[in-house]
Amino acid sequence: MLNKTVIDHLRQKVGAGNVYHEREDLLVYGYDATPEIAGFPDVAVFPQNREGLQAALEVSRREGLAVTPRGAATGLSGGSTPFRGGMVLGLTRMNRIREIDEENLTMTAEAGVITVDLFNAAAEKGLFYPPDPGSQNVSTLGGNVAENAGGLRGLKYGVTRNYVMALSGFLYDGTEFHAGNKCVKDVAGYSLRDLLVGSEGTLGIITEVTVRLINPPQDKRTLLAYFRDIRTAGEAVSKIIAARIIPATLEIMDKTTINCVEDYARIGLPREMGALLLIEVDGHPAVVAEEAEGVRKILEEVRADVIRQAANTQEALQLAAARRTALSAVARVSPTTILEDTTVPRSRLAETFAEIERLSEKYGIRVATFGHAGDGNLHPTAVTDERNLEEVARVHAFFSDLYEKVLSMGGTVSGEHGIGIAKKGYLLRQFGEGGIGVMRRIKHAFDPDGRLNPGKIFLDEGVPAEMQTPGGTDG
Amino acid sequence: MAEPCPAGHFHPKDAPDYESILQCMRCGFCLAVCPTYALTNRERSSPRGRAALARAVAEGNLEFTAAVRDESFFCLDCKACSTACPSGVRVGTIMEFCRSQAQVFHPPSLPAGMLRDFILKRMLPSPALLETSMLPARLYQRLGLQWVVRHLRINRFLPPTLAKMEGILPILTPPLRLEIPEMIPALGEKRGRVGFFLGCAMSLVFPEVSRQTARILSQQGFDVVTPREVKCCGAPHLAEGERETARRLARINIDLFLSLEVDFIVTDCAGCGCALKEYEELLEGPGDHERVGRFRAKIRDISEFLSEAGIRTEGLRPVPLTVTYHEPCHLVHGQGLSGPPRQVIRAIPGVELREMKESNWCCGMAGSFALKELETSRRILERKLAHVRATGADALVTANPGCHLQLAWGVRELGMKQSVLHIVELLGKALPQ
Ligand SMILES: Cc1cc2nc3c(=O)[nH]c(=O)nc-3n(C[C@H](O)[C@H](O)[C@H](O)COP(=O)(O)OP(=O)(O)OC[C@H]3O[C@@H](n4cnc5c(N)ncnc54)[C@H](O)[C@@H]3O)c2cc1C
Ligand code: SF4
Ligand code: SF4
Repeated sequence: MLNKTVIDHLRQKVGAGNVYHEREDLLVYGYDATPEIAGFPDVAVFPQNREGLQAALEVSRREGLAVTPRGAATGLSGGSTPFRGGMVLGLTRMNRIREIDEENLTMTAEAGVITVDLFNAAAEKGLFYPPDPGSQNVSTLGGNVAENAGGLRGLKYGVTRNYVMALSGFLYDGTEFHAGNKCVKDVAGYSLRDLLVGSEGTLGIITEVTVRLINPPQDKRTLLAYFRDIRTAGEAVSKIIAARIIPATLEIMDKTTINCVEDYARIGLPREMGALLLIEVDGHPAVVAEEAEGVRKILEEVRADVIRQAANTQEALQLAAARRTALSAVARVSPTTILEDTTVPRSRLAETFAEIERLSEKYGIRVATFGHAGDGNLHPTAVTDERNLEEVARVHAFFSDLYEKVLSMGGTVSGEHGIGIAKKGYLLRQFGEGGIGVMRRIKHAFDPDGRLNPGKIFLDEGVPAEMQTPGGTDG
Repeated sequence: MAEPCPAGHFHPKDAPDYESILQCMRCGFCLAVCPTYALTNRERSSPRGRAALARAVAEGNLEFTAAVRDESFFCLDCKACSTACPSGVRVGTIMEFCRSQAQVFHPPSLPAGMLRDFILKRMLPSPALLETSMLPARLYQRLGLQWVVRHLRINRFLPPTLAKMEGILPILTPPLRLEIPEMIPALGEKRGRVGFFLGCAMSLVFPEVSRQTARILSQQGFDVVTPREVKCCGAPHLAEGERETARRLARINIDLFLSLEVDFIVTDCAGCGCALKEYEELLEGPGDHERVGRFRAKIRDISEFLSEAGIRTEGLRPVPLTVTYHEPCHLVHGQGLSGPPRQVIRAIPGVELREMKESNWCCGMAGSFALKELETSRRILERKLAHVRATGADALVTANPGCHLQLAWGVRELGMKQSVLHIVELLGKALPQ
């Protein structure tokens, strides 16, 4: 609990309506979308401008409070949960789009702008902002940058990092930073911008971002392929990539996911099938026609059970929207969904599916798998019940084995959701003490006292792993 | 985590179902559609936050505090979050249960409680009492006081709630329940026999609208049976956390309508339709589920009914109007009916439907919310009316008495040109005389 003087001071500086300290408020600023993880802050502050934010930081420093930046709390690794209490610093009230620069094809916006609003603002000017995480209707630009979020269009258009040109904000000690600019080329000094993208709110607080905009595709076509066996779907993905066709979207859903999504969206997905691929090719009309044909050939070659084309734009949009609901829809099945973010080189997809199947049988758990197949990025999701401790332990054992395999194939423990609290142990496995040591030194350079988003990314030395991360999955 | 006792800090009677609370996986999809979150940007006033508060109470991490009570009443119960939620969480319903918990943990002060009890337990269940209680309001209008108050702007001096109440009520005429024939025969080739569930608000405040409903049903080839003994559907009781009375009313209505031997039970009030369709859930536990199921299977909103039966369009006269359609929450989110009202509108010759932005966003009426949370309600209404204005349509069509009152009031206050019509009034214009 903070004393009343501190609260009053904050209210005065940031505005009374922007400071919360009642238990009912603090309880709901303790979570994000990650299961099994929740913190409890001492105060939650939502500045409306830079001055307010600076004032909040000043108070934190004086009181020695931990500060956890928070966007929309849709994160899937616990990044915005106030693990060590202190101050939750919400960015959602800094949500102005500052400028669309049509000469340089850039947009500058505050960190709290909602992803889909960026897309719409660009579209109004006939421009295109591609990053589209499943959470785009809620997630914030700051959260996307801090997690380097991907999305359904990642395969062809890349992830958030590929669009960030400049960032500004503050370090915990109040130092203001401006990293990057509107220049297409820039090699001046270390790229602070690139360090901050994906830093999960542990290096600095981002208040404003300039993103690159591109021309929207002139044409697109959406294909759907159904498979009895998910491994065949994996094979199809590997072959499409090997044929050097790069669709904008190449998404996969397995049987459980198909059924959950259909329960919600009711758009006629094939409940009996083992997997489906949602494929969108876009670009110049001639290229679209050629690539669609190429994709179709491969699908026929691997003997997809059904191949069809979306009737119109509306159906295509409906399918993409339905895919975005996959994770939440899977939660229909049971109260807790523990999802992972394994990513493998795309030639290894079929193998990964086989491993998921083998291990889920071995541990006797139910797993729904969906994800950005074209990126090699899968979200195997265990459907469980956090009250059933014994089953949850098996779930963690399952993921531990799976990551072992993924790492041995040259994969990574997180494709887009970040490490946060959930994957601290796995990160150590992937990088070893050497790599982690370098990261720690970087962290120290930005935040020597370790007050900005503490407890994230790195395991604390000398504390048992199981006390720091769910499942205690250490190395 | 320890296995929590099922009700935790909730009172075991009429506690929200723990499993239904746990179903929320906190993805935040619902944040984008919640009107109270859009206004406040405060997590506890969002569906995800409300579910989390309920969970904290259920798990014993939070008492049922005044803030929890306030949040349950600040929720509009617009159910937009249910439509948006891929995991099937219904936060509006969880909040309804919390409202009934509020009666246990934070009972209203004695006079307020007595008034509440009188309205919910005596007046609403008894149509006759309800009708006489509107008498003073009617007298006041007859005496022309309303005209004086409105035109001299005296109501600016009334306490704001009274002012809004005064402004929102239309000229009252005698209740339809007492005037409508109990049986209106089908015209033309007969297609069936329906029971008409005449809601309290429709009968008292919009009798002319419901008269159109009965007329349309008969013109479309259905015998229309309107029982005088009908009771309030129970929606106001659920909204105020008075579940026991709601159950009592539900049982009476089920018995009444099943005894009529009708093919369908039709209502022109989205709020009633939604409540009637939820009787099964309300009456969970021991009881005759077969009968409740049979009753449930017959309930239709008027546009749902007409679009299922197919509208007989021969003889319809063109109605040269551009209209825009506001979707009542209890129709689109509560009953999942978005297409049928539009089909009805499009079936009317001469009518042009111009879609407004966010047609399925709440208008801010939300039962008694519009009178309790004046400022918030007004801001939600203004957002709606801005979209209405942008369409340039001549008329604003809706399908629920609450929305109708609120929208008509807003249109008047802002001096907008649109007339506000119930969907059956629009269709009624096309009917041959
Ligand atoms: C249903 C669902 C689907 C999803 N789909 C995808 C997907 O397709 N691709 C994908 O990549 N992710 C996806 N996610 C994960 C999540 O939406 C993204 O990580 C998103 O970028 C988080 O944004 P947010 O605004 O919610 O940030 P939060 O969850 O609030 O925060 C995320 C992290 O960023 C930090 N942070 C937030 N704002 C700032 C700031 N201004 N400055 C510094 N640090 C900050 C926080 O401290 C935290 O560490 C999905 C999540 C859900 C629930
Ligand atoms: S209520 Fe539904 S949509 Fe909202 S956070 Fe919970 S699961 Fe997601
Ligand atoms: S019912 Fe409406 S007001 Fe209540 S939480 Fe859901 S969306 Fe918000």
